[in-house]
Amino acid sequence: MSIHNYCDGIHRRDFLRVGALSASSFTLANYLKMAEAGHVKEGHATSGIFIDLSGGPSHLDTFDPKPDAPEGIRGDFKTIPTSVAGVHISEQLPKLAKSFDKYVILRGVSHTLAAHKLGSEFVNTGSRPLSSLEYPGYGAVLCKERPVQSDIPPFVAIPNSGQRAGFLGIQYAPMNTGATPQAGKPFNVRGISLGAGVTVEQLDRRQNLLHDLDNTFASLEGRDQLLTGLDRFSDKAYSMLTSERARYAFDVSKESPSFSQQFGTDPFEQSCLLAVRLIESGVRFVSLQVGGWDNHTDIFNNLKTKLLPKFDGGVSALLNGLEQKGLLGSTSVMVTGEFGRTPKINTRATLGGRDHYPRCMFMLMAGGKIRGGQVIGQSDDTAAGPANDAISPSDVAASFYHNLGIDPKQEFETETGRPITLVRDGNIIPQLFA
Amino acid sequence: MSHSYQKIRFGSHREQSMKRTPCLIRTPFWRLSQAFAVVALMSVQSLGEVPIAPLESRFQPNSGGISETAEIPDFQKHVSPLLGRLGCNGRACHGSFQGQGGFTLSLFGYDFDADLKALLDKDAGRVTAKDPLASLILTKPVDADMHEGGQRFKKDGWEYWVLRKWIEAGAPKTSAAQKEPIQKLVRLEVSPLEIHFTSKDETKSMHAIAIWEDGSQEDVTSLCRFASNDTSIAKINEKGLVTGGETGDTHVVVSYDNAVVPVSVLRPIGKTGQLQQQITNAKTEIDKLVLMKLDKLGIMPTGDATDSEFFRRLSLDVAGTLPTSDQVRKFLDDPSADKRLKMIETVLDSPGYAAWWTTFLCDMTGNNDDQLKNFSPLPQQSSQHWYQWIYARVAKNVPYDQIVEGIVTAVSREPNESYTEYCEKMTSICGDATGKSFADRSDMMYYWARNNLKTAEEKAISFAYAFCGVRIQCAQCHKHPFDQWSKQDFDQFERLFDGVVATQGNYMPESKEAVEKMISELGIAKSLKGNDLRKKLQEVAKEGKTIPFPELFVRTNKPPQNKSKENDTKGKKQAAAPKKLPTARLLGAQYVDLSTVTDPREPLMEWLRRKDNPYFAKAIVNRIWAHYFQAGIVNPPDDLNLANAPSNAELLDYLANGFVDNHYDLKWLHRTILNSQTYQRSWQTNETNALDRRNFSHALLRRLPAETAYDALRIALSDSEQAKSICNLESERAMTMAGASAQNKGGKNSLSNYALTVFGRSIRESNCDCDKSSDPSLLQTVFIRNDSDVLKAMNDPKHSWLAQVAEEYHLAPPRGDGPAPVPPRMQEKKDVRTVEDLDRDVRKYRKQLEIQSGKEGNEKAIKAIQSSLALSEKRLKELMSSKLDSSKQESSTLPIYSEKMPVKSENGMSDDDATKLVEEAYLRTLSRKPTAIELERSQKAIAIAENPLNGISDVLWALINSKEFILNH
Repeated sequence: MSIHNYCDGIHRRDFLRVGALSASSFTLANYLKMAEAGHVKEGHATSGIFIDLSGGPSHLDTFDPKPDAPEGIRGDFKTIPTSVAGVHISEQLPKLAKSFDKYVILRGVSHTLAAHKLGSEFVNTGSRPLSSLEYPGYGAVLCKERPVQSDIPPFVAIPNSGQRAGFLGIQYAPMNTGATPQAGKPFNVRGISLGAGVTVEQLDRRQNLLHDLDNTFASLEGRDQLLTGLDRFSDKAYSMLTSERARYAFDVSKESPSFSQQFGTDPFEQSCLLAVRLIESGVRFVSLQVGGWDNHTDIFNNLKTKLLPKFDGGVSALLNGLEQKGLLGSTSVMVTGEFGRTPKINTRATLGGRDHYPRCMFMLMAGGKIRGGQVIGQSDDTAAGPANDAISPSDVAASFYHNLGIDPKQEFETETGRPITLVRDGNIIPQLFA
Repeated sequence: MSHSYQKIRFGSHREQSMKRTPCLIRTPFWRLSQAFAVVALMSVQSLGEVPIAPLESRFQPNSGGISETAEIPDFQKHVSPLLGRLGCNGRACHGSFQGQGGFTLSLFGYDFDADLKALLDKDAGRVTAKDPLASLILTKPVDADMHEGGQRFKKDGWEYWVLRKWIEAGAPKTSAAQKEPIQKLVRLEVSPLEIHFTSKDETKSMHAIAIWEDGSQEDVTSLCRFASNDTSIAKINEKGLVTGGETGDTHVVVSYDNAVVPVSVLRPIGKTGQLQQQITNAKTEIDKLVLMKLDKLGIMPTGDATDSEFFRRLSLDVAGTLPTSDQVRKFLDDPSADKRLKMIETVLDSPGYAAWWTTFLCDMTGNNDDQLKNFSPLPQQSSQHWYQWIYARVAKNVPYDQIVEGIVTAVSREPNESYTEYCEKMTSICGDATGKSFADRSDMMYYWARNNLKTAEEKAISFAYAFCGVRIQCAQCHKHPFDQWSKQDFDQFERLFDGVVATQGNYMPESKEAVEKMISELGIAKSLKGNDLRKKLQEVAKEGKTIPFPELFVRTNKPPQNKSKENDTKGKKQAAAPKKLPTARLLGAQYVDLSTVTDPREPLMEWLRRKDNPYFAKAIVNRIWAHYFQAGIVNPPDDLNLANAPSNAELLDYLANGFVDNHYDLKWLHRTILNSQTYQRSWQTNETNALDRRNFSHALLRRLPAETAYDALRIALSDSEQAKSICNLESERAMTMAGASAQNKGGKNSLSNYALTVFGRSIRESNCDCDKSSDPSLLQTVFIRNDSDVLKAMNDPKHSWLAQVAEEYHLAPPRGDGPAPVPPRMQEKKDVRTVEDLDRDVRKYRKQLEIQSGKEGNEKAIKAIQSSLALSEKRLKELMSSKLDSSKQESSTLPIYSEKMPVKSENGMSDDDATKLVEEAYLRTLSRKPTAIELERSQKAIAIAENPLNGISDVLWALINSKEFILNH
């Protein structure tokens, strides 16, 4: 086991490459062992859901309305009261207004990255992007910290995710479904659903044959970590592919109608249903991505007809569904875009829109030990910036991790041995858990 | 683009004095090669200088606990390194940016000004001149209760007295005699230079002598920091005592001031001196140097790989391509003695070679489509241009230094090309989606045009990473912990990149008129900006009209009022009037006077090409070596630092020097490595070399790189014709995808993108070779076993090998994404399972049961397993008892293979046919013929299948999922 020295004076354990063999704390084999032992730290929530509103939704027209702001800023929508006295949100979100007791609205969240990619990296990792380093997304971190021992993939992205494994390494990357489920239909997920005509029996037979033929490196067995790793992954893949449970979890049509009816038929709402099912079956982290929020033009029509109805229905059903299944207390939920949108409605086109605006945005959090029904943070009169102290995406990230029982100040080592604090600048927001 | 040395001036009198006394030149090259260090040591000792006694004896308190010396310690020489050795400026203590207790030292020291300022901060009380003994740096470290970092030294220790005497003298920055604020350490002489242990727990003490510019010498052992690169082989304590551990070799590292000296420690594994004969007879210089190192360690190398192992490895390594079954057969049947030599040449000339090494260079230089979307108005093409430009040169074997020059010193215009001509040309090049004609341009302008390379520091980091294999970024914020680089070194290096600009809308001053004219002639409103303008430009470019392109050039340091429009062809301007410019310096070499050079990248390029450049040739040679051997001679290969010493310095020197002497001929390098016995060794191991992963005594198993893995799957699953066309790059290949990024949307084929992401294709994002990954993962395993991508390729009704087989043998063709549906199995009839099979099943089901039970909601699954288990147990019992009854029983359950008797199996395929097909399946996946037992097992699988094609598809599936397939070996 060789140890390399790197940038910050920290030893790098370069487990696959060099030197004589010795006991080491972090090897592929040890990771797998830990995974099998189901090594789980104490915490509040044990699983997570991240909903990525990519494009950057307007905060004014959703959760941070300013009905008294001048025309040209306040927008077309009226507000409605929520289940908590004194808190109003956009009239386009009636279901979420009713279930406000389950989640927290963060207002006046603020950062400075107005480009989609950078903003998205920030909110998906909780750390301002660096050019020299890729931070891991929340899901990758959770899967590393809480390996799942099961026949089910630990991290699923529906259909894709802005969260990557970053410096943690590709073994923590999400499994992308690549598609969204349709109401009442079996959902074929790449990799998990057996190909047309392939039966479990056939897979069984093939696995036996593979076992019979794959003996070339027998003389190195136990001496080469790469071989050990491949063997373990082979066993795990086999149990996943032959597992009734995994296929059952992915198949939204198997859900009882009384439960699934609260989810609409839109693919996003069905994805929310799928997310609940996956969490229920033991998936550690689900990332949902729904785009279309980059409304530079014709913002109000888009929000009213295309975006907010499914968002309102999907997220409220997701929260209610988690609660009905007794999972809300063990699932940390976060909803965010990469930034808010300009208070001023632009007039470039006949039907105006709002442009990128990281200085002021909203986020939602729920589940775990979070006390719902609160508004935390405040924006100024025109939602142009935080009224008092800004909440940074790093603060939200620190809180999200905290809710999952992960210390946001925990240190990780990059591939090159550089020590990295999980959330470098963020502080936990205590009111969330008050 | 040649430049003479006159343009580089030596920046200070110190440099000049160094030039006059060559024996004192301190460059990293000296340290990298220990042979030189020995010579240097002898020459200095011969001067007869005697180092002064160590600090601990000079400041040792007497029996009364008082040190009586009149000496005033020096801040740079004594106080700062002492704080370092005591751990004060470590990351967890005061070296962090949020230093404990508000006391912040520079990480790893060497920022003397800042550290002194922090110590002398009037309000903090760390050093109090009026009441020296109340200084916190004296009171805190001796008191474990007061100091969170615990007791660092005792009140009667010499460390205490060094700090105390310094404070009592007024905490001076320099001693009176010294003029420069920072004295130059000429060299740190470390002894011994190599440690040989023969048994565990043997010890050896390290000693270090600092030699300063003024010739003074001092034993600084007690002020050094010590570290071991592998504590299982050698431990080293804070006093420099090395203790031997396991067998093997590593380095311990001694650091003081800005010196970092690695010392080799080795303990032989077996008997040394066994390889003399092999060394004498070594086929190549590489083999000789590798064997010499192995002999020192008592490691016996493994013998040669078989022909099929060699051929598969060669083709995958050199051309990124799995050989087709026809190629394998031809090679194996070739009786000529020099067939390996000939095959190396063939593969080096194959189209795969150029594509694969272009991908390699695109990874290294960071061809990232996502980072390129803001430069050109037609950004979809930029990555493609980058790829094609390199491809054309790799294919023609253009010398490496020339390729790099075309990137490093690139400007956007050709010599004598006007701005308008440039735009016409670029518009026409962009009209062709392949981007091939961009390769005719002399320069590749996109390297500097990336979004993540906007600032000078980003450019400096990227340059050092790509072309020098140096991680200079550490020094961006603090002294590099394992190299000589200080923050100042970084700042001065960074200055070379200040003027390099390539952004959207960047035009040379004299081009601006032409741009405006062009825009107005195109009828585009002047007010149109940013993305709107770009959209419009893209529209008109589609109509074939010439559009303005941004330029890459170097902003000179000329005063702004001095606008002259000389006949300027390549963005070069006459030297500006001297004005106060920041100091720029090549990495560890000369200063560059920015007022006398028009393009600082030219002295930079010249420096790369200098014969004594310690990085340029070594970095690429080492990276290519690492590609072939899984480990670099310096490993990881993108981290050439002083502490990370090469495992075989002579070997690295030989290859780097040879590469330069052969005019940076990449094929010379490949050929030299590939023809060595070292490259052609087997992966098998023996008792002495089983654990060797750094001395090249056997081939190491490694997972296929993402591009190779994906293409290999396609080749293995395609019919002969398509496989051949993929091999010859007539079909799209993963390694002809130009761009890459974290999003991996480089190609149009989103399916291959998913696969390439899962297998860890480089994201070309963060100046690290670790942007690509060859680690295994669960998703990879799931991908090959069950992904629709793979199943489709396997069962393609037109182009799959299975379809080809079906046609040849008149079988029902495979069905699109899955094999043909099968009738229900008739267990009794088909059950030919042996005792071993059943036994394995029983054990498997039991294990599954174990896993499943104890988990909720699994009742169904558990029931299913239980019933399978019961059935298998029953059958096993039956078979065992019948075996006892009749010894013939077993033979009747095993299909016996015999060449002489073609038998038809139950599903209608003759054994002869099955043999042929199994052999073909092996050749097209594992590039070898099956062994007798593999053949037997595979035939059995075919025989028991419902129909032969299903059986063959089972065999093919098992082979692509075997470790032997996914590992290069």
